[in-house]
Amino acid sequence: MDTRDETGHKPGSSFEDALKKYREGMQIILEGAKADTGQTPKEVIWTKNKAKLYHYQPATPVTYPVPILLVYALINRPYVLDLMPGNSLVEFLVGKGFNVYMLDWGTPGDEDKNLSFDNYVLDYIPQAVKKMLRNAHAGEFTLLGYCMGGTMSAMYAALFPGKPLKNLILLTAPIGFTADDMGLFGLWTSEKYFDPDLLADAYGNVPGEVIDSGNRMLKPVTNYVGTYVTMWDRILQNKPMDTWLAMSKWVNDGVPFPGAAFKQWIREFYQQNKLVKGEIKLRGQMVNLTNITCPVLNIAGTKDHICTPPQAEATMRLISSQDKEFYVIDAGHVGLLTGSNARKDLWPKIWRWLEPRSQ
Amino acid sequence: MPADPMEAWEQWYGAVSKGWSRAVNGNGNKTAPPDPLSLYQTWLKSVSTVQEQFLRGAGDPQELWKQWLEVTTDFWRKAAEAGGDPTGLMKQWMEMMEETRNRLFAGMPLPADPFTFFKQWYDATNETWSSLVGEVIGTEKFMDVSSEFLKTYASFYATMRRASEEYFRNLQLPTRSDIARVAELIVNLEEKVDQIDSELEDFEDGAGSSLSQLPVALQKLSAVEQLEQRTGSLEQRLERVEGKLDTLLASLDKLAAREEAKPAAPARRTKRKPGTPSQKSAGAASKAES
Repeated sequence: MDTRDETGHKPGSSFEDALKKYREGMQIILEGAKADTGQTPKEVIWTKNKAKLYHYQPATPVTYPVPILLVYALINRPYVLDLMPGNSLVEFLVGKGFNVYMLDWGTPGDEDKNLSFDNYVLDYIPQAVKKMLRNAHAGEFTLLGYCMGGTMSAMYAALFPGKPLKNLILLTAPIGFTADDMGLFGLWTSEKYFDPDLLADAYGNVPGEVIDSGNRMLKPVTNYVGTYVTMWDRILQNKPMDTWLAMSKWVNDGVPFPGAAFKQWIREFYQQNKLVKGEIKLRGQMVNLTNITCPVLNIAGTKDHICTPPQAEATMRLISSQDKEFYVIDAGHVGLLTGSNARKDLWPKIWRWLEPRSQ
Repeated sequence: MPADPMEAWEQWYGAVSKGWSRAVNGNGNKTAPPDPLSLYQTWLKSVSTVQEQFLRGAGDPQELWKQWLEVTTDFWRKAAEAGGDPTGLMKQWMEMMEETRNRLFAGMPLPADPFTFFKQWYDATNETWSSLVGEVIGTEKFMDVSSEFLKTYASFYATMRRASEEYFRNLQLPTRSDIARVAELIVNLEEKVDQIDSELEDFEDGAGSSLSQLPVALQKLSAVEQLEQRTGSLEQRLERVEGKLDTLLASLDKLAAREEAKPAAPARRTKRKPGTPSQKSAGAASKAES
């Protein structure tokens, strides 16, 4: 029986297949990538303003009494740490018997434009720690900060040294902001060319798209063209799209940067490099990184252009910890965290480092 | 290289248009003004020709790609020669095209579908393009222009925002700022509830800690009570002993008085030094102290 349709094409023919693929690609371009992310079972145990504290439900009995608190950056969503089943740091840690918690900053509204690092480091993180310890019936915890969340975690560790903080893990956390170490960011954020007040005062909260554009412009050809070349290639070659969709969704899912925090971040960190000089003050309290004495694992990526290895390495010169390690992975800012390389390198590294320190 | 991207684009476009006209017209008139319409029409005609050939299935697709690449490379070369290259972009573009052609012709079979060809072309040229763009966006001149653009845009956005706020305010409608103010009140209220919640938890934890200490406290209390009872009993016994001592002292006083009344026996009497209390009064003082 002839199954050609009125246009003369057989269902499943190469023409129809090509059309279907074209439609699929165009749908992604026009509507954005859709993917089920952050699927590890969790419950919200505390909220504050827009922030939420998640407790991931243990898949196996908890074997390590010291819980882990994950702190992400204020920009972008934290589900990159729990991207999708089989490609999730959270799922990995939970599977190894850790009690895992994550602080999700949420999406700030216009009313949050005055929130600064003073609020986040002195109010939000300590309260989340208190709730977590109470929930976990624990007296100590491990703090794992990623990207800007790592910078915030280091500041917390400096301001609240000793118990209950037992271990500190910094993942691609920029601490040093010397212009020569920052690549293009050093030039773009220099005082000569960039006044953060302009954007913050105009927008209130600086939109995620603006922040995202800045990050993408570090590698414009790869980010604006290469991403879609990869997409079409995967579609046309019938390769799995799950990971690409999840990553694309995450990349385009930025959150606004509260105006006051944005000003602080650009001016005091990027332009004045105050953190390494010990000149950052949060609500009058001096942030002195030499106060950090707990065990520290500091991780950087050789291809990371958002937090370059020297920016992360600056931590090692400042902290007073005897037990400290700087570990470099041959990956980029996000590639370090997800994918097959992360499964082989980063995740086992964290597990092996934490195992003896979480008893 | 001009600092203004628009200026760079104009220079590039002017040079390309001039080259295109020369390549198409072949008149050798380097000063002939560019003709954008002619440029577009020629480009469109070329595309249509290639399209027709593809649709007709005329010729080997690989041969078509080769032809396209040859013609395009040739065009760019002529354009560069004719119009000069003030930006330097065209020279790099040419190098990239040559490199691509060499790579593709080195033995790799050329693909039949446009996307695969484009991908191969992208893979071959990606790094060159990235470094080229990187050089442009990493210059101070580019930053000067970007900085000015940012200032203008931010100022424009802020003005628009203020104007919108004013417009809605005049219409007696709530603005984003009004809603933000209400939201801020709610956040502050939530903060207070959080504080109360935190205090209650601390109290609960404190009470819990006291309860856990209760058995120890009760044991201590019992020990203290027992001690008090024993102390009371000791006091009673002491009082009884004192009573007996008083009785003894009274008897001794009587005895002493009787002995004083007998002059015949003075040697047995104990002489008291002047100023020292009698045994009775010393006992009374001791009792008073206790």
